[in-house]
Amino acid sequence: MEAQQSVLSPAGADAQSIATLSWIMFCAAALIFFGVVLITIFAHKGNEAWRRRLSSNAFIFCVGIIFPTVTLVALLIYGLMLTGARVMATEADALHIEVVGEQWWWRVRYTESGAVTANEIRVPVGRQVEIKLTSADVIHSFWAPNLAGKVDMIPGVVNVIRLRATKTGTYRGQCAEYCGGPHALMAFHVIALEPAQFEEWLAEQQRPARSPTGALQIEGESRFISKGCNACHTIRGTAANGAIGPDLTHVGGRISLAAATLPNDVRSFGRWIRDNQHIKPNNRMPPFGVLTDRELAALAAYLEGLQ
Amino acid sequence: MPRSQNKHVTWRVVLASWRVGAIWLGAFIAILVMGGFLVAWSGVYSVAASRGHWPGFRLLLEFGMRSSVRTHALGIDVPNLDDPALVERGAGHFQGGCAPCHGAPGRPSSPIVYAMLPEPPDLGATVPAWKTNELFWIVKNGLKYTGMPAWPAQQRDDEVWAVVAFLQRLPNTTASEYQALANLEPRRQEVPIRALAQGGPIGTGLAACSRCHALDGAGRPSGAFPRLDIQTAEYLFLQLQSYDQDTRHSGIMQPVAAELEEAEMRRLAEYYASQRPVQRQEPAAGNEASVARGQRLATIGLPDQGIPPCLSCHVEDPAVRDPLYPALSGQYASYTIQQLELYKSGRRRGTPAAEIMSVMAERLTAEQIKAVSIYLSGLQAAR
Repeated sequence: MEAQQSVLSPAGADAQSIATLSWIMFCAAALIFFGVVLITIFAHKGNEAWRRRLSSNAFIFCVGIIFPTVTLVALLIYGLMLTGARVMATEADALHIEVVGEQWWWRVRYTESGAVTANEIRVPVGRQVEIKLTSADVIHSFWAPNLAGKVDMIPGVVNVIRLRATKTGTYRGQCAEYCGGPHALMAFHVIALEPAQFEEWLAEQQRPARSPTGALQIEGESRFISKGCNACHTIRGTAANGAIGPDLTHVGGRISLAAATLPNDVRSFGRWIRDNQHIKPNNRMPPFGVLTDRELAALAAYLEGLQ
Repeated sequence: MPRSQNKHVTWRVVLASWRVGAIWLGAFIAILVMGGFLVAWSGVYSVAASRGHWPGFRLLLEFGMRSSVRTHALGIDVPNLDDPALVERGAGHFQGGCAPCHGAPGRPSSPIVYAMLPEPPDLGATVPAWKTNELFWIVKNGLKYTGMPAWPAQQRDDEVWAVVAFLQRLPNTTASEYQALANLEPRRQEVPIRALAQGGPIGTGLAACSRCHALDGAGRPSGAFPRLDIQTAEYLFLQLQSYDQDTRHSGIMQPVAAELEEAEMRRLAEYYASQRPVQRQEPAAGNEASVARGQRLATIGLPDQGIPPCLSCHVEDPAVRDPLYPALSGQYASYTIQQLELYKSGRRRGTPAAEIMSVMAERLTAEQIKAVSIYLSGLQAAR
């Protein structure tokens, strides 16, 4: 299985060049290290001739000054070229996405279509994706190591990251700047899909929520309003239009809950709603211990049904 | 050499005499402890309240008590106690919680109480001898060995201050003024003889809800007591239960709830929930800009600060509102402010609902709490 969150298994052009640079540096550093060890051995155990050679002005000048200068300058030039190549121009058919880091989740909006989701970014393979990054509160950092380097999300500033997935798959990202409390549980997924599949998904995301089916789900829909979930969450197509927490219109179709903290299933919904302060301490959602088991089951069934 | 030897010898003498002193002291203390134990064991000393104290002993005890209260009350800041609602709230509790021992204007306490040692003083006469911060300390902490209890809910300084606000007025309160403040029925001459024989003449015990919340549940115009007429039976019952179990803390309401049985709580909750809400035509007492800010908070919230609209959960329409969520429309602003401050400072925790509300209240500033409470108090109460 491919690693979901690793700089060593690149799945994007950007991550590929970073990986190549890293390997070049690892290998060169290893060679130089062995060279230094060899020289040290000769300096201690070698005969008089070797010692004289190693302590000559010419050797020190060549290996101690010329060699590092040339190596480091070469590395710098290569690095600058790589960085220059990374600053891609925006392509005409690029997909535009806006991601806002919030304590402790990710608000995601697809610019062209207006589709809104959270903690999960789906992208088409092969197409350039331009993501505008900012923050609603403190500094976060957007980092999906399989796809690209990390870029800070700063309140009041919009940073841009451009990436292109080269193979389909599910990749995990992580907030890479300590942002308080449950920072370690602020993660997300990037899912690279075949273009046709992606368009299908995007069209689904733009639709209002599907209607609940079955008595339990229908009860859950009315509990969502009466218990006040709608104060913070939006479910498009219903009366719920809260703007504080994640949009839940299609929450059942996402692969995780609570910013990649829990798997997305009925049980997790129930646990999260009632016990979220144990699962992700200090997160901004209050724990709903007021719910009875029946009410909780209804809410979980309803939310899981929002595919 | 001889000098240093001399010094050595001196040290040994000093050390030896110290040792001897310590042994004597230890023996003395041991005799004292054993003597004390023997006296206690023998039962010679009389603990009879009927016997009074040894001459002069009472003066010493009172001197110690006064000094202790004075020292411990240092550094207690006295808030503004002029609010008539505070005095009313204090008087309401005084009748049920304090008057049984201390008596009240025109209502001397029982002869049983006078046989206590020390006998609970007539507060009208003794209150002026204490400073305000000292009164607060006594009401909050009680007095050891006197029978004066501590405040049952140590989190609720606000309630203690209400009692102190009333105590300050007590020396100048006439019997009829007290009757009005504590909302007492005058002694009825025409009580049916069976009722008199069964229930006695007073009938104004601790759990007489109506003395504070009124028979229609609308409280009093001053806002001293929260309105019950706007709430559901489910909510009121849950609150009584929470007071009884001390998951909602109050030195005023917990003793009341503790007197009630579950079935009584349910009947009282249903009674008040069935009252037709009184419509108060009272202009919101805040400036327009503040009321507008309150309206914004209540209806739209402040999403940037993570504050959802109050009326999402506390829906105005009772048909839509969850029966366990309280109505805020038409509730007295002073009560809503007080409760939000308790949530914000972490003193109203313990029930699942409080865990939700305290998260919200922590995000509100004092100014926002005031603005939104005033706005909500101006809404029409609905049922």
